[in-house]
Amino acid sequence: MDIVTQVLSGVFAVGPVAAMIGASILGVFIGALPGLNPVMAIALLLPLTYSMEPLVALGMVAGIYNGSMYGGAIPAILLRIPGTPAAIATTFDGYPMAQRGEASRALKIACWSSALGGTASAIALMTIGPILARATLAFGPAEYFWIAMFGMASIGVLVGTDAIKGLMAATLGLLLGTVGLDQLSGTPRFTFDQVWLLSGLDLIVILVGLYALPPVIALAEAADLKGLSAAQLKLEPAKVPWSEVRSFVPTWIRSSLIGIGVGILPGAGGNIAAFLSYNAAKSASDDPDSFGKGNPAGVAAAECGNNADNAASMIPALTLGIPGNVIAALVLGALLIHGLQPGPQLFHQNPGLVGGFMVQMLLTSLLILAVGGAAATKVFAQVQRLPGVLLVPTILVLMAVGVYVINGRVVDLWIMFAAGLAGYVFEKVNVPLAPIVLGLILGPMAEQNVRRALLISRGDVTELVTRPISAVIALATLGLIVYPVASAIMRRRRAA
Amino acid sequence: MKTLLIGASALALSATAALAEYPERAIEVTIPAPAGGGTDTSARKLATLLEEELGTSIAILNVAGGGGSVGVTQFMMDKPTGYSLLATWNSPITTVPQVQNVAYDVDSFTPIASTSETAYTMCVSPDFPAETGEAFLAELAAKPGKYTYGNDGIGGTMQMAAERIFQARGIEAVAIPFGGAGETLQNFLGGHVDIYGGSISPVLPYTESGEAKCLIVTSAAPVEALPQAAGLEELDLGAEETLLWRMVLAPAGLDQAIADRLAAALETTVNDPSYVEFLATKGEVPNVVTGEALAERLRNEYDALAKVAANLGLGQ
Repeated sequence: MDIVTQVLSGVFAVGPVAAMIGASILGVFIGALPGLNPVMAIALLLPLTYSMEPLVALGMVAGIYNGSMYGGAIPAILLRIPGTPAAIATTFDGYPMAQRGEASRALKIACWSSALGGTASAIALMTIGPILARATLAFGPAEYFWIAMFGMASIGVLVGTDAIKGLMAATLGLLLGTVGLDQLSGTPRFTFDQVWLLSGLDLIVILVGLYALPPVIALAEAADLKGLSAAQLKLEPAKVPWSEVRSFVPTWIRSSLIGIGVGILPGAGGNIAAFLSYNAAKSASDDPDSFGKGNPAGVAAAECGNNADNAASMIPALTLGIPGNVIAALVLGALLIHGLQPGPQLFHQNPGLVGGFMVQMLLTSLLILAVGGAAATKVFAQVQRLPGVLLVPTILVLMAVGVYVINGRVVDLWIMFAAGLAGYVFEKVNVPLAPIVLGLILGPMAEQNVRRALLISRGDVTELVTRPISAVIALATLGLIVYPVASAIMRRRRAA
Repeated sequence: MKTLLIGASALALSATAALAEYPERAIEVTIPAPAGGGTDTSARKLATLLEEELGTSIAILNVAGGGGSVGVTQFMMDKPTGYSLLATWNSPITTVPQVQNVAYDVDSFTPIASTSETAYTMCVSPDFPAETGEAFLAELAAKPGKYTYGNDGIGGTMQMAAERIFQARGIEAVAIPFGGAGETLQNFLGGHVDIYGGSISPVLPYTESGEAKCLIVTSAAPVEALPQAAGLEELDLGAEETLLWRMVLAPAGLDQAIADRLAAALETTVNDPSYVEFLATKGEVPNVVTGEALAERLRNEYDALAKVAANLGLGQ
């Protein structure tokens, strides 16, 4: 009881409340602008809070983190630009919905799903987190290898009808993922003596190009001089009937669990959570073919999954002192500044502060409903009123600025445009883009971890499957490959 | 003779004039690492203090990639005006050139000042059959190839720091490169690698809880926070000290008066109590070395690491 009052009185002071609200609004905007990302924003703003109360700094981190994860969905739906890497899967069904004139409905679903995913994750952080954190230590390189393989096997779900083109796309992604310094031998691969290629191709640079440029070119081709008039813009009330809300419940539960599971593992991020959630929703659906063509459940799954990753990714940081991503590392840094040593004793030493941060992660998830639902969605949906001749240059400038600020390198702009032109051609010849991205994310993860595992086992391959957790994930991967084939054969037999 | 004198005094005059006016506009500081990392946070904190000391604003430019080499290479194109500086840790300057083909070397800079430093440590689980630094090295030497140690990346400074010690003692241990100290710690606590190799602050809570036994630090002197760990001096390995340290550099050919002005400003700001306190939270201590002494420190470290890299077969 004592702790509860201590936590709540800390959180509901003026400073922390203002920080949460301000940061949530800011976070939505940061997420919505491609290239600007929460890591950058938090890194820039944290030093300003060093002299303030710790809960002001932590409230700000929570607001920006949760807000931006939802904000990323806004350009993903309206323009097919993933505002953050985690918003990729949101473009799959969100953009087709927007093109059908259901932009505000898609935004509303994204908003609710983000809030729910974030809330579920924060509850996990407060309750089961400390228990599960210890268990994640059992995951070594061999297990991470199989997680990556599991993700890759799920590409099968994404490729749709043309398996050959899907596999080609995935292979291209894997190839792109090999560019750069080999992390295990220090050998440069496919760098052609160019210093800027040493660290490989930056994921967000490729993503922004690949996904955002083709629709911009399409807009330019249409060369429309008028946008939607205020009357045409279907803004409100974006009706999401109760029956539909109820139909999302299984998706939300599934995606929340996936997001929490991925988040708690250090090193796997919101983009993987969103992809796996999306795939799970598609596999579970009665009508999987409707995914990718504007199925609202796809938006719900992706947005719920990537927000459910957030608070859970703080679990290893707060309980073990192991930051699973850069934002968690920044939170640990902020705690250190205030004289708190992250690690197993943190909660016992300062329950008010840690508990307060957990409550802030919960409150900022709920704030998405207010900030996103009421304000941001309406503001950003106005984008559709801009005529193409204004929209095209505006988007191009935003893309260029966003990509430049990531690494401060002009060459990234050329990579982005090259990726964009390639994406345009791929779309014309019906090569799916998602497998490229998945290959790029999962290829390096699989390769580095299998090689680490083999270094540890001194080259003994059987250790990859004899460890119990590895064996389970390996079997699940096998099931993921065999099941669709088997069910297709069964369906054909039944039909015959 | 007269013209020469006039010329010389004009030169002297213009030099003092340049100093008197410096800094008259904003200074750009390149950080060859992404926003949010250790080098970035230290430099940003220092920049806020330096802005006050110099009375000008400081713009920070993060240029990430290639373990720092991308940012340093881009920085090399800047002119030595005193308005573009590099805030880096030692690896891009002394370690990365051993394994990558880069366009700069340790003499491509005007050294201004080092700012802070910290040692790396190596830790084992409580049931490891050694209780001292000496016994730890003896156990490793007795069982070549048996133990695995996690480090911050292949050819990284941490691996070099460990291998310098190992090579001096004829030890063979299997290096497992991870993405950083956090990942190494996770794999050490999970029992996937035998030895934690990395910075001190992440592992500190586990020495207190008894889950990690830190037996060696890579500095010559022992570290107060790790009483069980031996410094290299007491193992007769004092010459093999390798630290993680940070510094501010300018492009080669910077006016000495401006370099001195900057070094003096850094000396003041680094030793500011608020910065010392900030460093302490990261397990770092201030250590300001300026001018020629800094150039020598860089050169010595570069030469020592070149030998280690060659022995490892990493050198080019």
